[in-house]
Amino acid sequence: MIKVSILRQGWRHWDYSLDFKNKEMKNFAINKWFALLFLFSGSSCEELLLDKKPLVGTTLDNFYQTEADAVSAIHAAYAALQFEMSPEGHFRWFWGDIMSDDAVKGGSGDNDQPLLAALEQFQGPVNTGYLAAEWAADYEGINRANIVLEKVPGIVMDEKLKKRILGEAYFLRAWFFYNLVTIFGDVPKVDHLLSPSEYKMPRSSAESIWNLIESDLTKAVSSLPLRSQYTQADLGRITKGAAQGLLLKSLVWRKKWAEAKKVGDALISSGEYKLESDFNRIFTKAGENGVESVFEIQYMTESGGNWGNNNNNEGTFTNVFVRARGQFDGYGFNIPTKSLVDAFLSTGTEDPRLKATIFRVGEPMGDRGIFTKEATGGYPHDYYGKKYFNNRSEQATFGDPNPNGGTNDRIIRYADILLLFAEASFQSGDETSARNALNQVRTRVKIPEITSSGNTLLEAIYNERRLELALEGHRFFDLVRTGRAVKFLGSLGFKENIHQVFPIPQSQIQASNGAVTQNQGY
Amino acid sequence: MMMLTSFFGSGTVYAQIKITGTVSESGSNEKLAGVTIFIKNTQDGIVTELDGTFELTVPNEKSMLVISYLGMETQELMVGNTRIFQIMMNSSASVMDEIVVVGYGTQIRSSISGAVSTVSSKDLEGVPLLRAEQAIQGKTAGVQVTQNSGSPGSTLSVRIRGTGTINDSEPLYLVDGVPVSGIDFLNPGDIATINVLKDAASAAIYGSRGANGVVVITTKTGKMADKQYGSIQYENYIGEQQAWKKMNLLDAREYAILSNEAHIAAGKTPLAAFSNPEGLGKGTDWQEAIFQIAPIQSHQLSLTGGSALSTFALSGSYFNQAGIVGGAKSGFERYTARLNISQQLKPWLKIGGNVLYTNLNRNGLPENNEFNTPLVRALNIDPVTSIRKFDGTYNYSVYVDTDLANPVNAIENQYNTWQSNRVLSSIQADISIRKGLVFRSSFNRDETFASQSVFIPSFNLSLDPASNDAPASERNPINTVIKNDFTWQNWQWENVLTWDYSKDKHKVNALLGSTALANSYYFLTGSNINLPSNKVKDAFLGNTIAPRESQGSGDFASASGMLSFFTRFQYDYANKYLLSATLRRDGSSRFGKNNRYGYFPSISAGWVISREDFWGLDALNFMKLRASWGQNGNDRIGEYSFTTIVYPGQNYTFGSSETITSGSTPLEASNPDLKWETGEQIDAGLDLELFNGKFHFTADYYKKTTRDMLARIPIPTLVGLRAPFQNVGTMANNGLELSLLYQEKKKTLNYSLGANIGFVKSEVLSLGPGGEPIITGNVFSAGNVSRTDVGHPVASFYGYVTDGIFQSQEEVNIHAFQNEKTGAGDIRFKDLNGDGIINEADQTYIGNPTPSFTFGFTSQWQWKGFDVSVFVQGTQGNDIYNGIFRYDFFYSNRPQSALNRWTGAGTSNEEPRVNLNDPNKNARVSDRFVEDGSFVRLKNVQLGYNLKHKLLKKWKMDKARIYFSGQNLWTLTTYSGLDPEIGSVGGSLEIGIDQGFYPQARMASLGLQLGF
Repeated sequence: MIKVSILRQGWRHWDYSLDFKNKEMKNFAINKWFALLFLFSGSSCEELLLDKKPLVGTTLDNFYQTEADAVSAIHAAYAALQFEMSPEGHFRWFWGDIMSDDAVKGGSGDNDQPLLAALEQFQGPVNTGYLAAEWAADYEGINRANIVLEKVPGIVMDEKLKKRILGEAYFLRAWFFYNLVTIFGDVPKVDHLLSPSEYKMPRSSAESIWNLIESDLTKAVSSLPLRSQYTQADLGRITKGAAQGLLLKSLVWRKKWAEAKKVGDALISSGEYKLESDFNRIFTKAGENGVESVFEIQYMTESGGNWGNNNNNEGTFTNVFVRARGQFDGYGFNIPTKSLVDAFLSTGTEDPRLKATIFRVGEPMGDRGIFTKEATGGYPHDYYGKKYFNNRSEQATFGDPNPNGGTNDRIIRYADILLLFAEASFQSGDETSARNALNQVRTRVKIPEITSSGNTLLEAIYNERRLELALEGHRFFDLVRTGRAVKFLGSLGFKENIHQVFPIPQSQIQASNGAVTQNQGY
Repeated sequence: MMMLTSFFGSGTVYAQIKITGTVSESGSNEKLAGVTIFIKNTQDGIVTELDGTFELTVPNEKSMLVISYLGMETQELMVGNTRIFQIMMNSSASVMDEIVVVGYGTQIRSSISGAVSTVSSKDLEGVPLLRAEQAIQGKTAGVQVTQNSGSPGSTLSVRIRGTGTINDSEPLYLVDGVPVSGIDFLNPGDIATINVLKDAASAAIYGSRGANGVVVITTKTGKMADKQYGSIQYENYIGEQQAWKKMNLLDAREYAILSNEAHIAAGKTPLAAFSNPEGLGKGTDWQEAIFQIAPIQSHQLSLTGGSALSTFALSGSYFNQAGIVGGAKSGFERYTARLNISQQLKPWLKIGGNVLYTNLNRNGLPENNEFNTPLVRALNIDPVTSIRKFDGTYNYSVYVDTDLANPVNAIENQYNTWQSNRVLSSIQADISIRKGLVFRSSFNRDETFASQSVFIPSFNLSLDPASNDAPASERNPINTVIKNDFTWQNWQWENVLTWDYSKDKHKVNALLGSTALANSYYFLTGSNINLPSNKVKDAFLGNTIAPRESQGSGDFASASGMLSFFTRFQYDYANKYLLSATLRRDGSSRFGKNNRYGYFPSISAGWVISREDFWGLDALNFMKLRASWGQNGNDRIGEYSFTTIVYPGQNYTFGSSETITSGSTPLEASNPDLKWETGEQIDAGLDLELFNGKFHFTADYYKKTTRDMLARIPIPTLVGLRAPFQNVGTMANNGLELSLLYQEKKKTLNYSLGANIGFVKSEVLSLGPGGEPIITGNVFSAGNVSRTDVGHPVASFYGYVTDGIFQSQEEVNIHAFQNEKTGAGDIRFKDLNGDGIINEADQTYIGNPTPSFTFGFTSQWQWKGFDVSVFVQGTQGNDIYNGIFRYDFFYSNRPQSALNRWTGAGTSNEEPRVNLNDPNKNARVSDRFVEDGSFVRLKNVQLGYNLKHKLLKKWKMDKARIYFSGQNLWTLTTYSGLDPEIGSVGGSLEIGIDQGFYPQARMASLGLQLGF
């Protein structure tokens, strides 16, 4: 940080003005009172008093000139990945898990985040802080990526680094648009820096957003290095594999099966990624950025963050939100449902992944104590999520422990890639490849392979996704994109053609003076 | 009354008679310069010299001399036989002869054409004032002064003629000509006069920042008096404060009964611990535990004096107030020292200097929010939990959750000290260039060096520390220390050329001036955690085991400047026709090059009808009509809003060793077209006096419009940047102010009665081209409460409308849909749009936090040595949103009114059933929580006794007064919370929401005033 020099700069500024006054005082002695009165009408004095440049930070015109500026700019875009409470929570597990049949809201009761309960019950409130924050956070990330894409090309710097930085920016823009289009559907396509006359932009169709995502990711794939080409110091940067992974997800969403299969194939045959041999290891601290990790949002404990500084914490709030209340010091959200637990038990033998996914009564919750309902403060829940649980020993040693959870958010794992590849292969008619990929995932946890074919195979792939990726923010979106939402969520209030996307924040419709319209049914 | 000593001269009658004499002030015998003596009904006259002498030639012995002087009773004498006069002048009892400070000069009240209210040190005599702003509370019509909190040293918010704008509505404060941002540093005992400039015309000379009115304060000075000794004054008071009200909450037995009921309603088994509510008894009275009797004391010593050519004033004070919540943990201490000197160095040069030093120390507890303040915790924590465990350590509640920790422990384990040293210094020179032409140059500096020290020790209330059974808020495993340093440095240089000219009945005053000022701010912070010692005396950043991991730091700096030119022209004909015009040009560094300058004109006129020849009513000895129009400016926004700044600190984590890496990006959209906010006001007023000044009445009607309001109006968030400040919106405040004063001076009994009332109606006229309403004021358990929208008063309350309780399931079924689990006993909300569903569309305006009128009433009585004074103050028509109780926790405590809950058909139509869950969201923002915040408060009562003159003379004293004073002795209000005087936490757009405001203290004190 440029602490000391700013301090000096501030004082220099001050000293300069004092000197000027002394000079003027000499003039006064010469010119008597007339000069004194109109002392300050000289333009130099006006400039001195009225032209104040900011002392901390640089103005826009003086930035984006050097290689360091370019690196700084892309880092700011990365920083937007960590927005989760800006200022209201808009976690991935809100949309992916709570809205599905895998989890319920939780918290301290009905009056804790009542609007979240309303969303969960598909009552479609149009002005929740969560969706407004999600929308705002994604567009802030897009803006930061757009700044890089617009300002960095003009900088004279190492071409290889520039290419990588632009690749990172394309990925980040695609990632934020991916969030927007999967949550909201049609959204405004902000693909450049806006001038004030463009602020009231109307929505573009989901299809055109997907096209932008695909084109951005394609550019990213060709500009980014492989994971193995990065150094340890760059761990966490966007890799070619991450771009391919997100592209695969996008193509699967759009049911472009042949293209998806091709991308999946390229990613698998790159040999950069492998399944972790021990499933239990994936979500531990030691397992962060492991062999299976394709795209992971980095968080750390020792950043000293606090509640009042939500967007500048390097830690995640997820850890504290999904832990049980009472002695476990959490807020008790994202409670797993019996339906999910039953899915793990449906074959008669308990799926080995249940133990790594969900805490059941009587089990120890890490080093925080044994899970009993009394220990959680008397709350009635029988299950709590385990994947994003962190031990007391892993807590921050300084700063507020609550916003400083260090658990990285595993966005795309290799297991997810294999299952998406399986789905794409199946839908393009290649059942063999589908079955192979599916069984790789199953073999890892030592459960019997699937030998079926046809629709049974597809159902098996879908079910495997539910068990393998439980409570990782996938379920709701998987149900929606495969057309099974009404089947599983209809009893919870999900209605066809309305709830597959969330309501556009009413405040943004108003802010655009109606240029942005609401989703049908809300 | 006239006192006249004359020397008999030779008595010959000549065609022209020459007279000489001296004019002095009676009592002090101070010679008065500049006294006008003219021959009645002629144009001939003279003005006394510096030493009070004069020489005049009059036609004959029957000539009448009219002697007049600012602030003194005008006299008329016939020349008669006297040739050498010793004229004594008395201070005028008439309010119309009062001196008013009106921007770069003084005027006699009868001659001003603007709306100015004055409070003088006489009115403040012996009233224990904690803060200078309290001096104007209730004494000036149209000025609403509200405490933002009752905690010692807390700020007051002052609103002159309503809330003027949506950004910062505070007025401009000037102390001896120095613009200051607040007056907490000022010892109220040093105040000589406070003049509140309310309309645009009187505030116009201050142009910028005068849009919300101007409070001009002058401090006491000595008097120029030849061969006169000075005076010594010592004052003190000591007193005690206590909370004047406790809320009625459930006791342990009642809490248990309701808890059992709530469990059953939710289909759960009641808690085993509450199986016998009767056995629980009263339980813990948490309010009793955190409120305490707190002492207060103040000492003041001031020395004033002067000689023929100089004056001086030296004063010092000490003030200490402990808080009624937390005692010394929320205490305030202030030391001030002041020196003021002036010297007539040369006949044409008068110089002056002023130094004011204040040292403030304030301990603060968290206040005014519903999360971690001791007050909210005490009101919400359950009454079953005892304060301490059996082993004497603090206890924690096993029923309530997270935020609602043990408040007594929280108070003990929090150290937050604020210390500030402020030096206000100025020097000025008045140069008399020639008769009537004076040039004044003054330079002043305002420096504040403040530091804040926060320490939170580690503690653990668990029964067994190893098992950590206590919830997170009752455990702090890691101690933290934070140190913040703030520096504000401002300087101002002002040059004013004034010209006074009078001929016959014409009086002209013209001035031309310029001001240059600059402000700078610097902030430095450092923090450290995991200190080896848990004692506050060891709380330093340097005490660390592992500095790199545990220490943090940061800083920030900003600066701004202003350059202004102004001119004023005043014309007075025979004290009958008054005219004043002002023009000011301000340039601020806060706007871009295109819009830096604002021009602010004003004009006012007055007509003293009672001085007209045709005026016949003798009883109505003074009547003046006046009107004014003017524009003022406001630039109170951040320093650099017109430009885009790229900020560092946008961090991410990279690397296997988890390194924080910094990024930079703009955070805010820019607005290069940003310009001044303008307030325009017209005012029409009437001043009346009857029975020679015994009865005085003033009325003002005003219409204030603020245009181009500076606000961050939301832009679509798809821009990805924070909204910039824009000039949007218009707001109007219309009002009427009335004040009357009746004074009677009899032989042994003097008394006066005064009252003032101010009506104001505010309305938002527009909020920019998009016109979206601004929604703020979040109450955690309910939602957003405040809404500022076109066509409504600012910060109105907006929510659902209740319509009784559902008495049966049938009633639920026939009503519009609220929630699947809505049942009998839940609140019915009105379906305002009749669409069969209760949702956001069924919300409407449910309250207005701005009062319809504010009023004050004062009365003073003096009989022989005794004096009694009474001051009553209040507001009417304002609503308060009661957000004290945490309805988001189902185990938190409730007010006693919860006992009237619905338990069956017909049992209640107001209070819903108790339930562990709230599927019907009975806690949502609705008129259920809107209460009437009107109040009448006996703010101050005083009984005093002045020792007899004879006794005083023996001890060489001038004055000895002993008095008893009571503050906030009695309050009349229907508001159920702790205090109806609610300030505002979130600015002009969030008013009247009670989230645990620290209440005012009731105080009784004994004081002494000695003068030598």
